[in-house]
Amino acid sequence: MDLSLTSDQIAILDALDGMVRPYAAMPIGATGFALTSADLDREIGESGFLDVGRDPDLGAVTAALVVERLARLPFATEAAVSALIGPLLGEGTGGPLCVVDAARLHRPLRFLAPGATVVVLGDAVTSFTAAADQVRAEPESLFAYPMGTLLVDPSTALATRHDISPDHVRTHLRIALAAEAAGLLSAALEVTCTYLADRQQFGRPLATFQALRHRLAEAQVRTNGVRWLALKAAATLDAGDAALALLHAQEAARAVTYDLHQFLGAMGMTLEHPLHLWTYRLKALIGELGGRAEQAAAAADAIWG
Amino acid sequence: MDFTWNAEQVAFRDRLRGVLAANLPDNWEAVAGHGPGSAEITEFSKAFCAMLATEGLLTPHWPKAIGGEGLGPWHQTILAEEMWGHGEPRGAQYMNVNWIGPTLMRYGTPEQQARYLPGISAGSAIWCQGFSEPGSGSDLASLRTRAVRDGDTYRVSGQKIWTSYAGLAETCFLLCRTADDRKKGISILLLPMDTPGITVRQIPSIIGEGDIHELFFDDCVVPAGALFGDEGQAWEIIAFSLTNERLGIPRYHLARAALDRAVSVLKGRGAFVREGVRAEAAKAAALCEAARMASYAIVSRRAGGEAIGAESSSARFATVMAERAVAEFVVEYLPEALADAEPYLKMHHQRGIVAGIAAGAAEIQLNIIATDVLKLPREAR
Repeated sequence: MDLSLTSDQIAILDALDGMVRPYAAMPIGATGFALTSADLDREIGESGFLDVGRDPDLGAVTAALVVERLARLPFATEAAVSALIGPLLGEGTGGPLCVVDAARLHRPLRFLAPGATVVVLGDAVTSFTAAADQVRAEPESLFAYPMGTLLVDPSTALATRHDISPDHVRTHLRIALAAEAAGLLSAALEVTCTYLADRQQFGRPLATFQALRHRLAEAQVRTNGVRWLALKAAATLDAGDAALALLHAQEAARAVTYDLHQFLGAMGMTLEHPLHLWTYRLKALIGELGGRAEQAAAAADAIWG
Repeated sequence: MDFTWNAEQVAFRDRLRGVLAANLPDNWEAVAGHGPGSAEITEFSKAFCAMLATEGLLTPHWPKAIGGEGLGPWHQTILAEEMWGHGEPRGAQYMNVNWIGPTLMRYGTPEQQARYLPGISAGSAIWCQGFSEPGSGSDLASLRTRAVRDGDTYRVSGQKIWTSYAGLAETCFLLCRTADDRKKGISILLLPMDTPGITVRQIPSIIGEGDIHELFFDDCVVPAGALFGDEGQAWEIIAFSLTNERLGIPRYHLARAALDRAVSVLKGRGAFVREGVRAEAAKAAALCEAARMASYAIVSRRAGGEAIGAESSSARFATVMAERAVAEFVVEYLPEALADAEPYLKMHHQRGIVAGIAAGAAEIQLNIIATDVLKLPREAR
């Protein structure tokens, strides 16, 4: 047991931080609901950071660390699924990856766009590249991800069948989403703390009021828990650990996102402050994979039978 | 990052389980139900801890120079998990090996170390910690018990309260005021409990027998050599001690064990079926494992030689959430287990409220997190 970063992990995260530094802040004047950057997506894609999970010495833990770090950016970029599920699919699955449960097809999907690889979890795991006429963009989705709706029944698409089990993919997806949530929670908390330390009311910073401090501290405790459960699950790749990690992440997202907007007061209702860029991604993650009910059921099944 | 126990750590845990199986009596669960401060466990702990000492299992995490095996924080964690997981047969002595001993090592004079460490290492010493006072709970620095230097002695007068294990302790790790300055006026005395002028009264409690007491000091005279550290150094010393104490009891492990036990009983009755019940159990398990990992992250840093600060408050609060969730699960779905048939569940029900109160109330931990982890400006007072 040694929970410190290895020298390789430190080097990878340092290099990653250096590469994404130009994207660390919301561009001045941006007021969109979701913030994306084709340049950032391309740089990440070409950098190889999303392939660290393919190296057995680095594995899923390092992939989860990369995902957590990228999720802290105000820009939404598809990293989680590529980093943690990409290695399961083999070579040649390019573009953003978009996982869809065959039982939950008819809802907006994160990162679904023409050219994306759609991974379908049904009785088997299949994938296909989405064509322009198979996707409707959802610019009004109110989630801070680019979203799209699938217009085609995946069973009719010309799909590649993968020799892996849907449950195995679900376990990796839970880890991916928990790691992403950890980064989103961390960044949302940080940007809120910065604002509250600065914003003066009643002649003193809002952050000096205990009513806010205690709830912020609880958010820190939850965020820390999500991060560690995600990394632990990445290490064990155990179905129970992964379900607990995403369950805890969805619980935390529910408990924290509302609070953080509340603390910002009227600024929390605007698109001028960047908080929504993290919290409205968290809100999208709350409903992934059937939400807390499904994660809790999966955890109970895996742990206690 | 490595999330696995190495072969040596697995062997250490196996060895502990073997020793526990060989040395706990058949009726142990019922004895353990009395709680670590009870006369029953205290009596048992003396022979049990002496046996552990002989086996090199009482203070294996201490340096070799003072009677340990030099095995470090991970072994301390495994030791604590196995002992507490088995009803803590070390009784009140867990406190000695967790923080009294390490604090003596770091701040004690050679004479104090020679006087007290052998007893702790041999498993024969019982200590209590004289911190809280009737007017000084969360606001510990307001304490008023006074020690006045008088020639080669200190004269101590005042009152302590909610003191764990005081009824059976031989020595008190006593915080007292030697000057008026709020924090820099506080000193520590290592006070023999047979000093004339001490009165101990047990306080009836929810959490078990012999656990909390009132102490009255009526002009107690102790030699000046009882001073621990320098006059006024207490605040610095207990900051070190409390960091150890907050993580001393692996409550996440106990909570998870209690949860697994409760689920096992429910399953045995065919009553672990409804989705709502299963979901509540899963949520409690997530809180337990989050607290475990937050604690392990700190153990890992300590094993790497890093100083530990406010992160221990975060792990502590995570543990409070976990204990509460498990206690509430049991009360809601298995209330009948709180009868004597399930001593460990009963004990969790009794002691589940302690984590948020002892070693600094949960709200104090949140204050520490806000100031020292989130770096928020200090609140107005």
